[in-house]
Amino acid sequence: MHISDGVLPISITVGAYAASAALAAWSVRRTRSEELPKVAVVTAAFFVASLIHVPFGPTSVHLLIPGLAGALLGPSAFLAIGLGLLLQSILFQFGGLTALGANALMMGVPALACGVFFQKLKGRSRRRQSLVGGLAGALGTALAALILALLLASGGEDFFGVAKIALAAHIPVILIEGAVSAFTVAFLVRVKPELLAPAFVQGHPRQPELNAPPQEPPDSPAHG
Amino acid sequence: MTGCGKGLFWGKKLLVAAALLAGMIGMPGPARAESPEAQPPPDPAALLAEQNAALSRDLRRIHRELAALRADMSRPGLQEVFAGIGYIMGLFGAAAFAASRRRDKRPPGSADNDPNAPDRGQGRT
Repeated sequence: MHISDGVLPISITVGAYAASAALAAWSVRRTRSEELPKVAVVTAAFFVASLIHVPFGPTSVHLLIPGLAGALLGPSAFLAIGLGLLLQSILFQFGGLTALGANALMMGVPALACGVFFQKLKGRSRRRQSLVGGLAGALGTALAALILALLLASGGEDFFGVAKIALAAHIPVILIEGAVSAFTVAFLVRVKPELLAPAFVQGHPRQPELNAPPQEPPDSPAHG
Repeated sequence: MTGCGKGLFWGKKLLVAAALLAGMIGMPGPARAESPEAQPPPDPAALLAEQNAALSRDLRRIHRELAALRADMSRPGLQEVFAGIGYIMGLFGAAAFAASRRRDKRPPGSADNDPNAPDRGQGRT
């Protein structure tokens, strides 16, 4: 599910670039430096997951894990997905560079939505967390298909027709991703539950530099 | 007149193709039985048509192979995958390095008194 070059009208392309740049900047600001390794690993997983093809009739669709990335990363998911898509479009020729903004919106917005969904609805119990994780995984792909239809509708396509086709083509992916996400979340709940608590909804108390006064002067020439 | 000649030519071509097909399949087709023109003097048109058919068959096969090769080449290989992973790790490593440098410049003790440090040992069973 990638939008290629030259499919969307120019105004939509530019607008999508602007929106995704703003979202990426917000995402970078919300990423704490202790979380960078986790973000890197999830980015690499997202980058590679697109190579896992699911044969489906005459064609094949590939895994895209926006829901899982959102559930694991919270606000940093947009950064991870944007970087993964950039490298995919450069190295794999998936989508085009001019459509990168639209592609990032298409994958990143569902990831953020799934992050909020997961954080709001995950309870305490393991079963509930894995269930909600699986739902988030499935929801991510479905939302991505809907946004794809919305973006293509701006280029003059029929929204409901495209939405129907995109959703139908991704039903196996939705199911598989739900299963993969549920399994992953269940595993993480067992072995490392801290990974599943990204700072999303509440302002996390682990960020003292946000309300501290900016103490930047000590960059004196320390060449002594 | 020309139309009639053309029709005759096409009819010959068809016959030759049918004969070829029957020969390929290996059964005595009806086409060979009812073709009176398969005489000893080799018809140049028939020969040409035969060669044409063979050539176009080969060409079609090569086209198919070319398309398959092109599809194979556009698929990302191991090299691209590892290149991408290396880019990701390198970029995030650089970002982590920059962040740690920035934190080192800050007065010590401002960021390392958080209660939920990762070494609680809670997740181990």
